[in-house]
Amino acid sequence: MSKTPTKAKAQAAPRGIRQTMSDLHIWTGLLAGWILYAMFLTGTVSYFREEISRYMRPELPAAQALPDAGQTAERVAASILRQAPGTPQMRITLPTPRNPTASAFWRLPADGQPGAEAGARRRRGGGAFGEGLFDAATAERLHARATTGGDFFFRFHFNLHYMPPLWGRWIAGLCAMFMLVAIVSGVITHKKIFIDFFTFRWGKGQRSWLDAHNALSVFGLPFHFMITWSGLITLMLMYMPWGLQSMAPPERAAVRAEMRSFIPPEQPAGRAAPLRPLADFVQQGEQRWGAGGVGAVQVNLAGDANARVIVTRQQAQRIATTPHYLVFDGTTGQMLQAKDASGPAATTQGVLYGLHLGRFADIVTRWLYFLVSLAGTAMVGTGLVLWTVKRRARLPDPDRPYFGFRLVERLNIAAIAGLSLGMAGMLWANRLLPLEMAQRAAWEVHAVFILWAAALAWALLRPAKRAWVELLWLAAAALALLPLLTALTTERPFWRSLMDGDWVFAGMELSLLALAALHAALAWRTQRHQPRQRPARKAADAPRRPAPVAPASVTPTPAEPVPALATLPAGESA
Amino acid sequence: MTPAWHLLMFTLCLGAFAALALGMERPQETLLQRPLGVAASRAWRLAGWGLLAAALWLALAAPGWTRGLVALSGHTSAAAALVLLALVLRERWGATR
Amino acid sequence: MTSRTHAFHFDHARRLAAGVPTYMPLISRIVAALFGGYALGALTSVAALALPLAPSEAAFTGMLASFLVYAGAVVWVFAVRSATRAWLGLLAAALPLLAAWTAWGA
Repeated sequence: MSKTPTKAKAQAAPRGIRQTMSDLHIWTGLLAGWILYAMFLTGTVSYFREEISRYMRPELPAAQALPDAGQTAERVAASILRQAPGTPQMRITLPTPRNPTASAFWRLPADGQPGAEAGARRRRGGGAFGEGLFDAATAERLHARATTGGDFFFRFHFNLHYMPPLWGRWIAGLCAMFMLVAIVSGVITHKKIFIDFFTFRWGKGQRSWLDAHNALSVFGLPFHFMITWSGLITLMLMYMPWGLQSMAPPERAAVRAEMRSFIPPEQPAGRAAPLRPLADFVQQGEQRWGAGGVGAVQVNLAGDANARVIVTRQQAQRIATTPHYLVFDGTTGQMLQAKDASGPAATTQGVLYGLHLGRFADIVTRWLYFLVSLAGTAMVGTGLVLWTVKRRARLPDPDRPYFGFRLVERLNIAAIAGLSLGMAGMLWANRLLPLEMAQRAAWEVHAVFILWAAALAWALLRPAKRAWVELLWLAAAALALLPLLTALTTERPFWRSLMDGDWVFAGMELSLLALAALHAALAWRTQRHQPRQRPARKAADAPRRPAPVAPASVTPTPAEPVPALATLPAGESA
Repeated sequence: MTPAWHLLMFTLCLGAFAALALGMERPQETLLQRPLGVAASRAWRLAGWGLLAAALWLALAAPGWTRGLVALSGHTSAAAALVLLALVLRERWGATR
Repeated sequence: MTSRTHAFHFDHARRLAAGVPTYMPLISRIVAALFGGYALGALTSVAALALPLAPSEAAFTGMLASFLVYAGAVVWVFAVRSATRAWLGLLAAALPLLAAWTAWGA
């Protein structure tokens, strides 16, 4: 695409904007590429985070008809108050069709008081809290295997892991800025990017990888731009706090009030006063927002005269994430505050945040999100591979590439094939680790990184092409065998899921098989690839190479493309 | 938005991108083995844009036009990808014959 | 190594040995892009407070725009013909923002 003059001439002639933008695009893409790939893939599967979480908690019952929201709130609150009578604050998340289990967390009274739990989770900044899952109909505590479920992938994609979340978010934010620059520079450098969209040259080595990368970038361009900008916006208070710092505290609070619906408890009055039935408050919410319009109920100081009940709107009902909630006096039932409007700038921020999360999406839209996001992942992956393919052709001695090339080549293998293996590995760990194991949830996550590191080691030790093929086959097997593993280790074998119409489990397992097939196809194509005879060099600084090149078993990664739209990522997903 | 709405939306987008492709020289050669004239190409492109306009109208007419727009964005991406994939496969199978 | 490989590595080494002066413009641009761009974005987020909007609205506007300004600044820095022009451009963009910020703070 870029008709670069030879090195000698390039130093003399001024470089055009398309060339400089191409260089910028390549550098920003390469430096951030491996982390971006991981962020993209884990972000992609996060669109089915609830489904993955349910798949990883097979003890929980399959979706049933949801009981009345108000009744559910009352039952769960009663259950919590039995366990932690003096709790100053509890928040109950009501069941939804995607997640038919009620969940809650509550602040525990100080140690020594009734309800305090030894070894309960500690929030950063002190204060212990309890949490649990509750059956929507009976409010009995549900127990499922200890796992972080799909939430791990969700949190990883902006926190990373094995580091303080703040560091992870800075790194993710930097990579996101690199991505934003890569998008802009990518569009500038390829002026005819839309017209050229239907141009795809199959079987032409570097050109095919480039065409694949271009196609994946273009047809998902609205999404890629939105997801990158909105991703930065989700953490904008951290990345660009300067405006807030310059403002007076009340104005600062006004900004924060537009981004979250956390209402801290009042000072306790010290007088006991009965809490009005929560169903009344939920009903008012449903009157205002429609059936299923209430997403969560928060109760501050239950049993005290200063009790408050905050009813929060169901996020799935709307795109924007700006807070919509109603605050009631818990004992009199009077509505104290109704927040359901925001200014245009705040709403814009909320809409962008909401577009990023996609919580509003119906099943078809959700699948579109997933597929286009997967394409974005493949865009990053093809970009990384393209870098090596392009430079392999220019290597003076392909059997002894320079250090930078070897580094990129090996990191590509680990970042792409290795990640698939690691993510699949988490599901394997979920099925195999003993249920009573200490730190079980943490060890499921360790499994991801242990496998990922092993893949890196494999990539460093084996010849590059072999490493690609072997790791891709391994990932394919790991994904394909999960339904069988589930059948053997849980009560939810795939035939039962299909017969019961349990589309969470059935859908997950079908998707795992599809992803396995994808990896197998990639492995097969890579294995079968024979590098073509090197054409005569036009570059002045490279003498002619003898043809043909070494046989496939010795040559590193393929110069011919694997199917252009076959994506490299994997991992389980729904 | 019902499955039927989604199906209609996707069909409009698929038709749109297929028409746009038929208005370009390279895909014409792949699909029809000969380039169409300038007038015919323009007609196809016009039809393509027209179908996209229809899709936009359908998006805005949906209950919740913001959701409609989001769905439109997703469907256009998917439809464009599918048309490209069809062209790639056609070219590949054509080549090996 | 083949003589070809020798030539390739020698070329690299020669350029590195030419020393920092050869890479100064590039380093300068990288600094301008990474830090200067961020500064411009940060300045945008603060200058936006001078907009005739409610303070929280202005704050949101500034933050939303800041990332686009940052990305735009990075592209600018590498698009222009010299590192000097890059810095000048950033300064030129910063001046009205600084003026707005000062006016707001006053």
